[in-house]
Amino acid sequence: MSRTAAWPRPGRTAKNLVPARRTGPEPSSPTTRGATFRHSLHAEWIKIRTMRSTPYLILGTLAFCVGLAALNGSSAGSEYADLSPADRAVFDPLATSLRGYLLAQIALGLLGGMVITSEYGARTIVSTLTSVPHRARVLGSKAVVLVGVALPAGIAVSLAGFLVGQASLSGAGAPRLALSDGLALRGILGGGLYLALAGLFGLALGTVIRSTTATVTTLFGVLLIVQAFAPALPGGVGEWVSTYWPPIAGGQIITGYRDPELLGPWAGLGVMAGCVAVLLAAAFVVFRKRDA
Amino acid sequence: MIEVRGLTKRYGDVLAVDDLTFAVRPGEVTGFLGPNGSGKSTTLRMVLGLDAPTAGTATVGGRPYAAQPAPLTVVGALLDPGAVLPSRSAFHHLLALAAGNGLPRRRVDEVLADVGMEKAARRKAGTFSLGMRQRLGIAAALLGDPPAVVFDEPLNGLDPEGIVWIRQLMRSMAAEGRAVLMSSHLMSEMELTADHLIVIGRGKLIADMSMKAFIDMNSEREVLVRSPQAETLRGLLATAVDVRTENDGALVVTGLEAAEIGALAAAGGVELHELSPRQASLEQAFMDLTRDAVEYQAETKTETMTGASR
Repeated sequence: MSRTAAWPRPGRTAKNLVPARRTGPEPSSPTTRGATFRHSLHAEWIKIRTMRSTPYLILGTLAFCVGLAALNGSSAGSEYADLSPADRAVFDPLATSLRGYLLAQIALGLLGGMVITSEYGARTIVSTLTSVPHRARVLGSKAVVLVGVALPAGIAVSLAGFLVGQASLSGAGAPRLALSDGLALRGILGGGLYLALAGLFGLALGTVIRSTTATVTTLFGVLLIVQAFAPALPGGVGEWVSTYWPPIAGGQIITGYRDPELLGPWAGLGVMAGCVAVLLAAAFVVFRKRDA
Repeated sequence: MIEVRGLTKRYGDVLAVDDLTFAVRPGEVTGFLGPNGSGKSTTLRMVLGLDAPTAGTATVGGRPYAAQPAPLTVVGALLDPGAVLPSRSAFHHLLALAAGNGLPRRRVDEVLADVGMEKAARRKAGTFSLGMRQRLGIAAALLGDPPAVVFDEPLNGLDPEGIVWIRQLMRSMAAEGRAVLMSSHLMSEMELTADHLIVIGRGKLIADMSMKAFIDMNSEREVLVRSPQAETLRGLLATAVDVRTENDGALVVTGLEAAEIGALAAAGGVELHELSPRQASLEQAFMDLTRDAVEYQAETKTETMTGASR
C-alpha cells in the first residue's frame, strides 16, 4: 500500500516540509471484508501474550503449586505412620498434592481480571472498541482466549503438583496414586477446569468492576475468605456455605476422599460453572450497555 | 463523510451535548472548536460508538460506527494518546488493533514508518514521550487507510517540528479527498490547518462555516494609522466606532475602512505615514464569540445558554 508514500514524514529536515503533493490516490472505500469473531480472537491472543503479567502469573503459580505439593507430600507422608486407622481411612493423597489450587485460583482469576482491567487501567479499551465496536465480540473473544491460556495452564499446574506431590508421598512411605488411576485423572483435568473457571470468574468480575485492585480484593474475598470463615458461621448457614458456596463446591473436584455431607466432585464443579456462567452473562450485559 | 444529526448526550442533569447537527465533508480539514467542557470529546466518543447518545445519530459513510464491518478502514481516530499498555511494544499495540479488523501485519510496519517510529517499534510504550505516544496514536488512526480521520487534540505534547508535520499530514490527507476532523486549542495552528470550522459551546452548535467566514463574522476589523499629527487625525475620525492610541503613538481604528480613513485624512490635510488594515486572528474571533459560553465563568445557571447562542 504505497498510498501513504506522498505524506510528509516527521523527523526530517526542513526541505521535506514543503506541502505534500496532491498525488495521493483517492481514498479507498472500504474493501476489506468485514471483520469477524476470528479476527477479534487473533487480536485478543496478541494482547494476552504481550501482557507482562501473563507469564509471571503462570510461572509463579506453577512454582508455588509444585513447591507446596512437595512440602505437603513429605509432611503428610511422614505423619501418616502416626495416624489412627480412622484417619488413615480418610487420608487423601490426591488433595494433598493439589492443595496449591487455593492460591492458583487467585492467580488465574487475576489473569482473567487483568485481561480487561488492564485495558481500563491503561485506557486502551478506547482503541480496542474503536477497532472492534461489537462489544459482545470483544468480551467473547477475551473469554475464549483466556480459557485457551488458563485451561492448559491449569492442567499443567495440576499435573505438575500431582506428580511432585505423589513422588514426595511415596518417598515418605505413605500411600500414593499413580497417574493411571481414574481418580488422578479426574483431579488433574478437573483441577485444570476449575482453574479455567476461576479465570472466567476473574474476567466477569473485572468487566463489571474495571479496577485491577478491586478485582483482586474481591477474588480473595470470594475464593478464600468465605472458605476460611465457613466453619465459624452459625449452624445452618455454615453448612449451606460449606456445601454450596461455589468455590468450595467446585474445590471438591481435587479431593479423593468423598465427604458424604458435601457435593460430589462433578456436581460441585457444576455449581461453580453455573455461578461463573451467570456472572459472565451479567458482565456481557454490563459491557454492552455501559459507555466505554 | 461524518454526519451528526440531533446528537444529544445527557449525564444526569447535565446536558453535555445538546442537539448537535453537522457534517464533516471529504476533501477538507474541519476544525472542531469549543472551550474545555463544551462537549467536543463526548461528541467524538459518540461518533466512534464509545458512548451511546441519549438522542440523535452519528454516522460515518451512512452507517453508525458500531455497524461498520471493518471500522478502522472507515474512520481512523486518535482520542487518547496515553492509552497504551506501558509494558506492550508499539508494534504489538498496533498489531492487535490491526488483527481485530483483519488488516495485514504489513500495515503495522507501514504506519510505523509513516509516523517515523520504525526504530521505536519494539520499545515498550511506557518508555515513550508524550510526543511519541501522539505519533503512535496517529499511526493507529492510519492503520486502515481510512477515508475519514478524527483527531482529538493531536498537537498536545508535540515539538514544533511535530506540529508542522501534523499540519502537513492533515493538509495532504484532505488533499487526497479524505474527511479530516480535528480538535485543538492551539488557535494559530488551527487557523493554518483547517478550512472549515465547527464551533460548539456548552454542547450546542455555535458556528458551522468556513474559516474565513468565521473570522470575518466574529471579529471587528481594525485599521492601523500612523501620523505625525495624531491628535488632529483623531478629531477627524469622529465617525469611527472606536479609536485608541497604541504605545508607539499609532492609532487603531475600528468601524471605518482604510479607504474612508485615508479620505478623511486627505480632506483634513493630515499627513499619513502608515495606513494598514489589520488581519483579525482566529484566536481573537474565537475568544470574542465564545467568551460568554466558557464554562466555569461566574454566571448563574439561568443565563448559561444566552451567551452561547448569541
